[in-house]
Amino acid sequence: MRHTESDLRELLNEHGHERAGREPSAHLDAIVRRGRRMRRTRRAVTAGTALACAAVAAVGVTGLLPAGPHRAEGTAVARRPVDSAQVTPGPELDDTMRVVLGTKKFDLHLIHSQRFETVGGVQKVTFTPTSVYTGEKVICEDPRAWVVVEHRGRGGEPTGGTGRCGDGVGGHGDELSVPSGWLKRPQYLQVWVFPADAPVREVAEAVNGCRPAVKGEDCDETAQSVALMNPEVRRRLSAIVGGRPGRWAIGVYDRPAPGTSVSTGPVPDNGPTVATERPADGASTPAG
Amino acid sequence: MDDGFAEYVAHRHLRLCRMAYLLARDWGTAEDLVQTALAKAWLAWRRIEGNPDPYVYRIIVNTHASWWRRRWRGEVPAATLPETADPRDPAGEVEGQAALWKAIGALSPRQRAVIVLHYFEGRTLAQVAEIVGCSLGAVKSQLSRALTRLRVDPDIQTMTLEEVQR
Repeated sequence: MRHTESDLRELLNEHGHERAGREPSAHLDAIVRRGRRMRRTRRAVTAGTALACAAVAAVGVTGLLPAGPHRAEGTAVARRPVDSAQVTPGPELDDTMRVVLGTKKFDLHLIHSQRFETVGGVQKVTFTPTSVYTGEKVICEDPRAWVVVEHRGRGGEPTGGTGRCGDGVGGHGDELSVPSGWLKRPQYLQVWVFPADAPVREVAEAVNGCRPAVKGEDCDETAQSVALMNPEVRRRLSAIVGGRPGRWAIGVYDRPAPGTSVSTGPVPDNGPTVATERPADGASTPAG
Repeated sequence: MDDGFAEYVAHRHLRLCRMAYLLARDWGTAEDLVQTALAKAWLAWRRIEGNPDPYVYRIIVNTHASWWRRRWRGEVPAATLPETADPRDPAGEVEGQAALWKAIGALSPRQRAVIVLHYFEGRTLAQVAEIVGCSLGAVKSQLSRALTRLRVDPDIQTMTLEEVQR
């Protein structure tokens, strides 16, 4: 059965006005509390270089810093046309990562971050997990850049994910998904970031024909994403585009180690999934 | 620190929740998305000039995408929809609506955001591109793919309007 755009509008309007038994209500105080908590956490986790940048911004040297959430409030920014987003999102890592596992929702906190200035090569990122809920996220100056993250699976086999930068996150969701000895020693990820215009399709077709997921379809984004799992495709791409300038960063998120969590106050009345813990002091690694 | 933030929340909260619900398809998650987005907007409020909607929408879309990926990582949506009853049958029409709603849920977060912003929020494709942070061409491509997957025939008149606005 086919539909019209009017059908689509009507359906969205119908569902958009559904009720879940009560009217969603705005709790300004809860929003502001959450905002303050975010600001506290950001200040706590942006130790080292990031903290230094924030501190410099706070004393007013604003022209030298990129716009982003770590800038102090009230700093001047260039005017932009009305009806456009005013804060340019640079490659700034969030201080928390939201996890939704069925009905369980919780936040992980940034425990390690590294920054890079070039794309096209492989980078090894070493960190020390503090729980079995470790997650990672890569952010890029160009959100269309290709990203491949590889880590050890439960049996030690290489596993991970590929896709456009910012589209997704990865990590472990419970004790069953982490490799043995996960909490006993430092772990590492290998990350490749390729420019958005890297010839993924051409290289994939040259290596294995770039097999699309659906027979008869083109070598689309999904097929190219799958092709990036092939080490030979990555190797050839690195040879072609390696060393190009391009800023990106990776953040590793985790729960605080047992016994180091610090309560930051009561949970807001209507905030069912706010963070109530902060990372252990000194747990975050200065940006590289 | 207020500077109109409280007024903005009072005025826009419900609409933002409705938009977030269409992305998340769960009222609890939608309210949580909106509260997160507004908290982030509160942090940057003094630096936001003009209409804050694009900034808040962008946070909602990006936050939803990151939560969605976390929850559904590994899922491969079906390329085709299940066949439904004869469209001339009223019951079949209801089923068709249900199938369309289900199909919207199977879209990627980015495609769903484009659909919701364009068809529910009434944003032009250029505005959608600004909100989701990609080019107009990429938005058109996402929209076209989404409509194909939803089995929605593009309305020629609407597309012409977009061309004029561009």
